[in-house]
Amino acid sequence: MITFDIQTLIIALVIGAASGAVGAFIILRRMALVGDALSHVALPGIALALAYHFDPFWGVVAFCLAAAVVVWALEEKTRLYSDALIGLLFTFNLAIGVLTIPDTEILESLFGAFTPLTSPEFFFISIAGAAAIALIFLYAKHFLFLIVSPELASIKAPRKSRLHGLLLMVLFAFIVALGIKLVGTLLMGALTIIPATISKNISRSMSGYIVMSAVLGALISLAGVFAAGMLHFLPGPTIIILGIALFGISLFFTRKFQ
Amino acid sequence: MESDLILEVKNISVEVDHETILKNVSFEVRRGEALAIIGPNGAGKTMLFRALLGLVSHTGELDWKKGIQIGYVPQKFVIDKSFPLTVREFFLLKSPRFWMPDKGFIAHLEHELSLVGLGKEILSRPLGELSGGQMQRILISSAMLNHPDVLLFDEPTAGIDVGAEQTIYTILHTLQKERGTTVLLISHDLNVVYKYADNVLCINKAMICHGRPKEILNPQELSRLYGGGGFYHHPVEEKI
Repeated sequence: MITFDIQTLIIALVIGAASGAVGAFIILRRMALVGDALSHVALPGIALALAYHFDPFWGVVAFCLAAAVVVWALEEKTRLYSDALIGLLFTFNLAIGVLTIPDTEILESLFGAFTPLTSPEFFFISIAGAAAIALIFLYAKHFLFLIVSPELASIKAPRKSRLHGLLLMVLFAFIVALGIKLVGTLLMGALTIIPATISKNISRSMSGYIVMSAVLGALISLAGVFAAGMLHFLPGPTIIILGIALFGISLFFTRKFQ
Repeated sequence: MESDLILEVKNISVEVDHETILKNVSFEVRRGEALAIIGPNGAGKTMLFRALLGLVSHTGELDWKKGIQIGYVPQKFVIDKSFPLTVREFFLLKSPRFWMPDKGFIAHLEHELSLVGLGKEILSRPLGELSGGQMQRILISSAMLNHPDVLLFDEPTAGIDVGAEQTIYTILHTLQKERGTTVLLISHDLNVVYKYADNVLCINKAMICHGRPKEILNPQELSRLYGGGGFYHHPVEEKI
């Protein structure tokens, strides 16, 4: 009989829900692939940590947060579309990562292997993940206003509105960083996209869409961890394949537009 | 009369990528006034609004009276049909609470909708599925929701049919009369300007004229504004 430790399940639940919640806004902002760029920024962070013998997790968090600020600032300052910026960051960091990370570590870095977490890591991921979810729901109105009409959201308070944009990016990067341990750098971006796309297919209201995206993220992650345990697969790819299968099913229930 | 001034603009200029979009525009707006802003395409009308709203940087003086609340109806508001946002949720973006709004806000919302001729059943509809006319009314209602002192309308009837256009202006005029709201309106239609505006500001990057419609909208000024040989609407005789 296969046993699952409670630690793994809690991490899958929190990371899944947080990815689903933040992904709901990222999809609407048409920044779905930013998650991929952010997760690949983790690779130089991992390399640096391995070279200087500190826990790669903290290297990942630091690099992802820095990358969020860079993407946000470049979007503000340049006329480049975000997909061009992402193309640059994505490949640059993948190149650095592949050159600098030892071969034995690269597979785990790319696809995630659920090696046991240290106690501080476990508590940090669980509490920080839950706090990120709370912040997303608390600031949902501001993120949404910025997406629906940046112009209307910025009237008389453009600075505040820009800070809301930065907060969304930082939360996004932070959740991506937390989730890399679960699904790996190559697939973490997908965990933020899949629950939201399924939810968007079947939702008519925004509140339903955001809540359902978070719930689906949690359910897909939990189910993926269970399935991976039973089939002796890596959890990352299992979670993503399960999510894509659910997306396929959701196509039959897509709402019709007038 | 000085205390009636709610907006003072002196020599305002806007540059984007070293290109002058607006140069040395000056005017004043008094409480309750309806000011129409006219000019050809690319004259900088929308940029003037963006400067007034604090969305672009500018040189020169731009002073709103302290504490003035501004409502804005943008020229373009495009939302994807598949965007999962109901009309109710669109209004909730302006509510203190998005997740659990209080009943007072919803009741107020229903009243505001009735003023623009919409029933509460529209609240549950997805925003992306509304017609052009319905969307305009929703945008006006949203701009008026918190009873602003000033409303900025950027070509509020662009892209909707003539019947709906008349209704929009009637609604605007009623709101202005009942609430004493100051209205700044960008329009291409000189009929509308004659009919609804107390004053008119003509710009074509620089300021061409400013004054009462009947005094300044003559063939000479219009020719300076739009270039010679243009076709102008016949003015409607009386302001309603």
